[in-house]
Amino acid sequence: MAEITMRNIVKRYGDGFPAVNDVSLDIADGEFMILVGPSGCGKSTLLRMIVGLEDITSGEMVIGGRKVNDLAPRDRNLAMVFQNYALYPHLSVFENIAFPLRLRKDMSDDEIKAKVQQAADTLELTEHLDRKPSNLSGGQRQRVAMGRAIVRDADAFLFDEPLSNLDAKLRGQMRTEILRMQRRLGITTVYVTHDQTEAMTLGDRVALLRKGELQQVASPRELYEQPANMFVAGFIGSPPMNFVPARMEGDTMHLPFVSFELPRDLRDAVGQREWVIVGIRPERFEDVALVDSSKLDTGVEFEGKVDVVEWLGNEQYAYMPFELPQMRAEGLEAVEDDLGGEAMQPQLVVALDPASRLDDGSTARIWFDPSRLHVFDVASGQNLSLEVAAPV
Amino acid sequence: MDGRRTSHWWTFWGVLILAWAAFPLLWMVSLAFKSPATFRSSSGFWPKEWTWENFQTVFRDELFTSALRNSFGISIIATLLSVIIAMFAAYAIARLDFRGKKLLLSMALAIAMFPQAALVGPLFNMWRGLGIYDTWIGLIIPYLTFALPLSIWTMSAFFRQIPWEMEQAAQVDGATAWQAFRKVIVPLAAPGVFTTAILTFFFCWNEFLLAASLTSTNRARTVPAALSFFTGASQFESPVTAVMAASVVVTIPVVVLVLLFQRRIVAGLTSGAVKG
Repeated sequence: MAEITMRNIVKRYGDGFPAVNDVSLDIADGEFMILVGPSGCGKSTLLRMIVGLEDITSGEMVIGGRKVNDLAPRDRNLAMVFQNYALYPHLSVFENIAFPLRLRKDMSDDEIKAKVQQAADTLELTEHLDRKPSNLSGGQRQRVAMGRAIVRDADAFLFDEPLSNLDAKLRGQMRTEILRMQRRLGITTVYVTHDQTEAMTLGDRVALLRKGELQQVASPRELYEQPANMFVAGFIGSPPMNFVPARMEGDTMHLPFVSFELPRDLRDAVGQREWVIVGIRPERFEDVALVDSSKLDTGVEFEGKVDVVEWLGNEQYAYMPFELPQMRAEGLEAVEDDLGGEAMQPQLVVALDPASRLDDGSTARIWFDPSRLHVFDVASGQNLSLEVAAPV
Repeated sequence: MDGRRTSHWWTFWGVLILAWAAFPLLWMVSLAFKSPATFRSSSGFWPKEWTWENFQTVFRDELFTSALRNSFGISIIATLLSVIIAMFAAYAIARLDFRGKKLLLSMALAIAMFPQAALVGPLFNMWRGLGIYDTWIGLIIPYLTFALPLSIWTMSAFFRQIPWEMEQAAQVDGATAWQAFRKVIVPLAAPGVFTTAILTFFFCWNEFLLAASLTSTNRARTVPAALSFFTGASQFESPVTAVMAASVVVTIPVVVLVLLFQRRIVAGLTSGAVKG
């Protein structure tokens, strides 16, 4: 077991393109750390640098107090589960799991057998030990890959999108299994994924990367409640956060569909800026008809036309178009691109209680609490409301 | 039915091609079992009386038995060496990026294209000067030269198919590069290695030009060359049936090899390595 420390890690490819740029990250002993981000953000590259399959251009990688920059993968004592499992097709399940033990040459056959049996018991693979990987189902192959990792008392586990090849149901099941295993073994784990559900449910902490740069490292809850910038805010949460351009006039904030007085602390955070981007999570909106009357006064009400309603049983999403005002915003397009073009559409996504009676084309009265807004700088995308964010 | 008609056509062409290819072979077998004294006069494709006389003749002949020994020895040694060398070369070509890789591959291809007949004269002189004329090694060296390019090309294609992650997984599991190669890559490339080995073996086994030019006695002469010097049991008898018997004998290993390993060659050993 060991802690992993990265100091100013840079990975530059031959053409000068920095896949990972100046990343510093501390992963505590026994911590479950998630690396997440859109494709091409450098998360897999970072993982492969930890394990030693990718050279580190500059920076320092320290595992368990030992600088490992120049160590071969086999000398780092880490276990890795690959995206496509990378099982050895010519070996039985038993030999696949025993492979790392056999390479060590300091274990007797009986010891190896006991260890493999133990790992197989944990993963419910006992009756499959004699089979070849090609005869196993996807979930079983996944478990063999995990067996090969846990059998060898490695200092840390590394997972490279281990669930992306499984179907949705199995994915949920394996996710819980991985979490349970990690909790029981208490071993440092780094887990790469592009799936935010995996990121939010598995991680003690989540590191969000974009274009090779670390955006924010925080607990899932903090990431959701206090995103550092627009990118983090848009990436975490489903459906994604609504971004609305807003104009300040004195203490009044003008949104395209409603104007209201901004709470004191948020007003201070905005400062002299005329234009800002306001972020509101879909689930912060409520149907006025269903809001507790004592709460009504503390919030803002507005009326809007509902375009489409999606009813999901446990909640429903209403889409409400609005007019996008003319606004100059540099750097916004880049954020837009990274979020898949979903960020700045001129429509609100509103998550409402399924009891709300709304139809396509109807007019809805919506309520929200302005103190729960996020306010972002137009140019930099930084979250201005961070210091004054509502207590979690 | 359109589909059925297509399949009839396939059968028709299949039988035609099979007959075309098998006819000389069957003729060879039939001649091998005819009596050397009467084969010219007897009519009919198949012998009226089957006889082992021709086989007895060839196996009694020192020319043939030593040639058989030479053929096996030279072919097996050349194949083994070629496969081992080609395995390392192909692995390097498939996995590493180095300067001159393209040049190396095109050179290999060029050598494979080179007309052998043009080399016979110079080789004859060189080998006599070096004192390896009419020896096993004198044949193994040129065989390696001509077999290696093909082996390297085939094997590097096989190595390229193996997912690189296999090797990386092995390295993370604690294997050195050599261990990863030996315990993971080579077993996975086994079908490729077998294919290459068999192709190389056939090449060496059937080769005639160099075998006839670079040998002069029973010391190193291989079967294809020896057959051309065959005289039969006595000089008054036509050697045709005996030559055919000898041909049948040398065809057997080829047929056996193909039957034994065709499964191996076809088997996709990598299935199940990755998601599938």
